[in-house]
Amino acid sequence: MRIFSRQQNNNSTVSEKKIIGSLSSNIREMKQLFSYDINKDFSLRTLTTRFNKREACIFYYGSIVDGERINLHIIKPLLENEGDEVSNIVSIENIEKIKEYEKVVQNINSGKAILFIDGDTDAYAMDVANFQHRTIPTSENESVVKGPQDAFTESLDNNISLIRKQIHNNQLINEGVQIGIRSHDEVNLLYLKDLVNQELLDNIRKRIKELEVDNVRNIELLEQYIEERPYSLIPTILYSEKPDKAASYIEDGYIVLLMESSSACLIVPVTFWSFFHSPEDRYLRFFYGNFTRTIRFICLILSLLVSAAFVAITNYHSEMLPPDLLLAITGSRERVPFPLIMEILLMEIAFELIREAGLRIPNPLGPTIGIVGALILGQAAVEANIISPIIVIIVALSGLSSFALADLSINYMVRLMRFIFIMCAGFWGMLSLTAAFFLFFMYAASIKSFGVPFFSPLSPHYISTKDTVFRQFIKKEKFRPGYIRPKDLQKKR
Amino acid sequence: MQSHGFLRTKEIASIVLIFVAIKFADSTPTLLSQKAQNGFWIIPAISFIVIFPSFLVMLYLLKKYEDKHVVQLCEAITGKWLGKLIGLVFFLFAFSSMVFDARNYIEQVKMLYFPESPTDYIFFIFIIVAFFGAKRGFEVIGYTSRIALPVIKFSALLVILLIWEEVVTERVFPVFGSGLSIIATEGIIKASIFAELFFVLIAYKATKETKMFRKGAIIASIIALAELLLFYFIYITVFDYNSIEKIAFPFHDIIQRIEFGEFFTNIETIFMVFWLFAAYLKFIYFLYFSAWFFGAVFNIDNFEPLLLPLAFLVILIGLLPYNSAQTQLVYHEQLYTLMSPFFIFLPFLLWFVAWLKGDLRT
Repeated sequence: MRIFSRQQNNNSTVSEKKIIGSLSSNIREMKQLFSYDINKDFSLRTLTTRFNKREACIFYYGSIVDGERINLHIIKPLLENEGDEVSNIVSIENIEKIKEYEKVVQNINSGKAILFIDGDTDAYAMDVANFQHRTIPTSENESVVKGPQDAFTESLDNNISLIRKQIHNNQLINEGVQIGIRSHDEVNLLYLKDLVNQELLDNIRKRIKELEVDNVRNIELLEQYIEERPYSLIPTILYSEKPDKAASYIEDGYIVLLMESSSACLIVPVTFWSFFHSPEDRYLRFFYGNFTRTIRFICLILSLLVSAAFVAITNYHSEMLPPDLLLAITGSRERVPFPLIMEILLMEIAFELIREAGLRIPNPLGPTIGIVGALILGQAAVEANIISPIIVIIVALSGLSSFALADLSINYMVRLMRFIFIMCAGFWGMLSLTAAFFLFFMYAASIKSFGVPFFSPLSPHYISTKDTVFRQFIKKEKFRPGYIRPKDLQKKR
Repeated sequence: MQSHGFLRTKEIASIVLIFVAIKFADSTPTLLSQKAQNGFWIIPAISFIVIFPSFLVMLYLLKKYEDKHVVQLCEAITGKWLGKLIGLVFFLFAFSSMVFDARNYIEQVKMLYFPESPTDYIFFIFIIVAFFGAKRGFEVIGYTSRIALPVIKFSALLVILLIWEEVVTERVFPVFGSGLSIIATEGIIKASIFAELFFVLIAYKATKETKMFRKGAIIASIIALAELLLFYFIYITVFDYNSIEKIAFPFHDIIQRIEFGEFFTNIETIFMVFWLFAAYLKFIYFLYFSAWFFGAVFNIDNFEPLLLPLAFLVILIGLLPYNSAQTQLVYHEQLYTLMSPFFIFLPFLLWFVAWLKGDLRT
């Protein structure tokens, strides 16, 4: 009830008011609504129209509209042209009649100019928005060698255009869903109408509409609002900055979410494989793509388990190591004072430290600090007998492998789980490490993203392209993924 | 029961296969070889011949009485109280099998890999894993089994390939070991090494269609038999009759003999990891099915909260016997002897009663 009453307080003055016939009182109302006297970029321009010889006034935010267009396509025609009504005079592509102040506020906030004419109970909203944004960049966080290089930018129109460029299909729908109580943001759902599962679509719409928040600024925040298990280490929504990736998912019947100020999209629902795959796997030829997949799978296992397995084997199962190797390890550890698990943890934390610092460091300093970090933490620590050289190799291996997992969410999951596994390996060697891995695996198997089990189509089995660890030859991919229950399962007839 | 119809043939087959076929990797072979000596590898075949018809009859009855799992089936045929009583016997068998096996498995791990760790700690880890795993629900157990199965079976295959050079096929003679009659009686008395097949029946309604369950269970039980025969054959041909009855854990003994080239001479820990996967899964099945039987008998629809008390009981009772040789060679053998006639005759009795009642005609 508290939220309900607050909502009323906010909007009670605006929502009920209607536009009246007197221009001067409309101007007064508008000035008060937008605090004209202190709000510097809120602008108005009065003029006398030529076609009906009346006073008129245009309101807009100077900072988010294109002044040239207002001048050329609204003011000039109104001053010079004859005609019977506004829509036949101004030469702007998008014009809408509105009656309530609530709509006026919404439209001005989204970059439109509002025209009031004396004696007219309608106002005219004309689209002259010109939000500032970057040009389309090359993808930096999900770089590929072979394949399209463009990435999303912080402009909804540009992003949608990037997707529409790849899917020439009149069934591709861009549906807007309102979100937020204080500021009216819009989430855009992109999907193929003749493919998408209706239940899934309704579920997503419902989740977005049911959010009771003041505002959700971007996709990154939205992701945390609509996910099912906020405390889980395992992500359930895919985040990507690549339009070609988004388009390929849309074509399979998935739903893509976009918002105005994000240079990325969300893809739902997901499985483990969506995080594991990279669009490049499909662009590469059959064997090359699957080779990449193999390497990535090895990297996943190494990154998760190599440090923990090293702890377990050297502490509890040293008989497993060939004598020469065992002697080499013990020899290098001879003068190190710490227990082995301590060494590994120290080094893993140091590695994470370099990584985090390297991200935040201003660009010009980056390489210098990187070298210093690597030198100090690697070379010097070994020489000072704080860690043994073999630990550097193990940690570098697990750290390097984690970079092969391109998706940010899965990357974090792996890095966090690594620490848990190291701890477990320290307790009972392989027994507890296997136990921890096994339970983690079972937990992952129990995860569902919008009703889709995490390891489908491997288990539970579904009709699909069988694109799991390895992908098929592309001509053999006859079906869309069955686990998202698309309306049309068959790709080729 | 949180079944949403996600389970298919493959999941059920994986469950049955892991559940039954892990008997080649514990001390069941030692138990069987006590009397039969090097003929013991034929025992599973005899047991299977004896018990498989009963299993098929059970599947037939379940098919006739649609939409019922095994306890509901007993209730439908014999009436409420007698049915519940049979259900209770099922529960007791499943639970005590779990307790004896648990102690046995824990001793294996302890003796071979953690000789200095206290038994109760390892017991605790084992049962904690079984509890948390079972807590995830039957569908997840199914998925996990399905995904883990290829890995587990691949490691088993690797064991066979690597040990093959030590196999001396002549050791199979005399084929019937200490005598055909002994093997035959042992085969019938120990028929309940396939008792797990009957425990799985409680999950009859978990698959998308019950046909998938029947198919998965039948295929998997035949493959499991083949696996048991193959491994038991390897045991007798590697160890010969004198040592086999003295070796407590033949599987672990075998993997300790394995060498992978000249450089890696002790790789048993790698196989131990996959063996552990299978062992954890086995106790997850046992725990979940026990709770399920208990819930079915006492009309507890939401039986998953029972997992924790049952898990705790397993630790308590499992720690009671003095050592694992006692649990395995005395208690477990008595349990086998007790279970065999029950599982061999019960399905036929049920079938007979159902036939008398006229339920089978429609």
